[in-house]
Amino acid sequence: MIPTLFGLTLLMFLLERAIPNSILASQYVNPQSTVPITEQLHNAYIQLGLNNPAPIQFLYYLNDIFHGNLGYMNTSYYSGSVSSAILQYFPNTAQLVIFSMAVTLVIAIPLGTYIGARPGSVADHASRVFSITGFAIPTFWLGLMLQIAFGKGVLNLPISVFPLGGVVSNSALPSPLPSWLLNPTSGALSSSPTHMVFFDAMLHGDFALAENAFVHMVLPIITLTYALLAGLLRFIRSGMVDSASKEYVKTARAKGVPERMVIRTHIRKNAMIPAVTVIALLIADLLGGVVVTETIFGYPGMGLLSVNAAITDEIYGVVGTTLVFGVIMVVANLVVDVVYALLDPRIRY
Amino acid sequence: MNVDLTREKKVARQHVFARNSGAFMRNLLKSGAATAGLVITVVYLILGLLDAVYPQYLGVRNDHTMLVFLPGQSISSAPPTAPVFNQGWWYYFGTTTSRIPIFPSMLAALQYDLGYALLIVLVGAGIGLLFGAVSGYFGGKVDELMMRITDIFLSVPLIPLAIAVTFFLGATFVDMAYALMFVSWPSFARLARGESLSLKSLSYMEAATSAGSSKVRNVWVHVIPNVLSPIFVQASLGVGRIVLVFATLFFLGIVRGAPYMPELGKLMVFGEPWLVNGVWWPIVIPGLFLIIFIVGINLFGDGLRDILDPKLRR
Repeated sequence: MIPTLFGLTLLMFLLERAIPNSILASQYVNPQSTVPITEQLHNAYIQLGLNNPAPIQFLYYLNDIFHGNLGYMNTSYYSGSVSSAILQYFPNTAQLVIFSMAVTLVIAIPLGTYIGARPGSVADHASRVFSITGFAIPTFWLGLMLQIAFGKGVLNLPISVFPLGGVVSNSALPSPLPSWLLNPTSGALSSSPTHMVFFDAMLHGDFALAENAFVHMVLPIITLTYALLAGLLRFIRSGMVDSASKEYVKTARAKGVPERMVIRTHIRKNAMIPAVTVIALLIADLLGGVVVTETIFGYPGMGLLSVNAAITDEIYGVVGTTLVFGVIMVVANLVVDVVYALLDPRIRY
Repeated sequence: MNVDLTREKKVARQHVFARNSGAFMRNLLKSGAATAGLVITVVYLILGLLDAVYPQYLGVRNDHTMLVFLPGQSISSAPPTAPVFNQGWWYYFGTTTSRIPIFPSMLAALQYDLGYALLIVLVGAGIGLLFGAVSGYFGGKVDELMMRITDIFLSVPLIPLAIAVTFFLGATFVDMAYALMFVSWPSFARLARGESLSLKSLSYMEAATSAGSSKVRNVWVHVIPNVLSPIFVQASLGVGRIVLVFATLFFLGIVRGAPYMPELGKLMVFGEPWLVNGVWWPIVIPGLFLIIFIVGINLFGDGLRDILDPKLRR
């Protein structure tokens, strides 16, 4: 885990040094500051260690990252340090990812069990078609199709049923904003304690706002879940079919265990073990999908931040978001390994 | 004597290949899905070539922009007009913004999408194959180090990593192609390493070593040819994946410097502003065109896997 993160930092450092030093330093200049620009540039060169040879520069770089200093960005959608931008955008992504993962698991496990117990049935063929389309439909195209369907003209639903963008509607916010919706230092809109609007609204008992936040997530969640579900369903199904032909299943049936129990405890439990490893891969797909989905639906999360940073030439924004995606993946892999060891007593680290 | 021997070997090899390829095609055609996949893939390849060979029949092309126009129009004479759907849609499938006809543009896009995706997968699979085969065969510290390197690339999801690398290389189309080569090889390396590890313990490898074959020769002559078939399957699935990533990166606007490059994702970018007015065809038609191709190549890849992977063959 540590060597991987170290390597990722090195990779980002090498990529970043493809950009000329003067541009790297110019991102540290604050136009509103009273300090003259030449002096600010000079300070940035010292802070980034740009006057030193590359290996020393890398040490400066590591030092900055460990201190949470990921550089600055100055654009219309965000102005300030990259680390605070990530703190602001990350909870929204977390919210989407939590819901998408939950929806996927809640649908895939029972449905996969059902289909896996009946290979060759109509349901099995339907799931095959579903998974083929799931791998082939581009995430952004699915998002656009949902926008066409729930936008004007096609289904003729009022736009407020499933809004096409944003986190919450302004009209749903309580009119004098309560203190938990305001950032104490900057006074900007930011909910506490979890920073995820849905969960915070639930915690503070504002169910109308929670509902509004949820409704805003529905279309992004469908977009994210589609491909994820296709992969997981197929995997659980083949795991079920594999373990159904094992000797212990025959034994269980021979000694008269009811079929329901055979499927649930003998087949499904063993089919779930390889499925857990696949979840790590699905998280990678999910984070990739988040980048696209958030951009399509204008959902202000990490994905939108990284795309916007790339479009508006914010070097440090791109590096910062990529590093955070890497950290999320590495941590998720670690969690999956631990769960794997818990599920399968044969595996011990 | 020596010359005769190599000639005989060559003849024998050709013979085996001919016999195998016949069996291969028969096996492939046995599966309806794989046949459909093969047909779709071949049709798309032909369509891609069609535009490369006969561009003049498919619309007027502006050399500087590589964009396809209706006859009598060019980029300067085409103000951003609304898309229309009544240009004889069986031929043009309507137009997108600035009266760019959709169907010829999709064909023009296909040659770039397919050509570059094949190139990227070829390079990525080649690097991954060498890297993985060496890593798995040599084992020990070499393996440890090489796998750590692939872990770094696999620790960031493909799309964010591709965005970052494309951005830092310069964000043009060619930079994106390099970036995708750069990020696509580790999955091939993982696969090749696994296969190479399992080959290493087989007795013919031991026989080769005891007959005096060096490690490098073992990798080159015994490991790589045997790792090729799973890599080939992964590569065929990889082409579809890369085409999807192309479309995604173009759609997100990561790729710059080619405002009128024919590309399926780019084509959908032109259509997106009109979406709110109920103009669906500039998005739906290129999307379906792309999806059919991905479905086709995935079915073909799955069919290949069923044939080439003896463990799965029933």
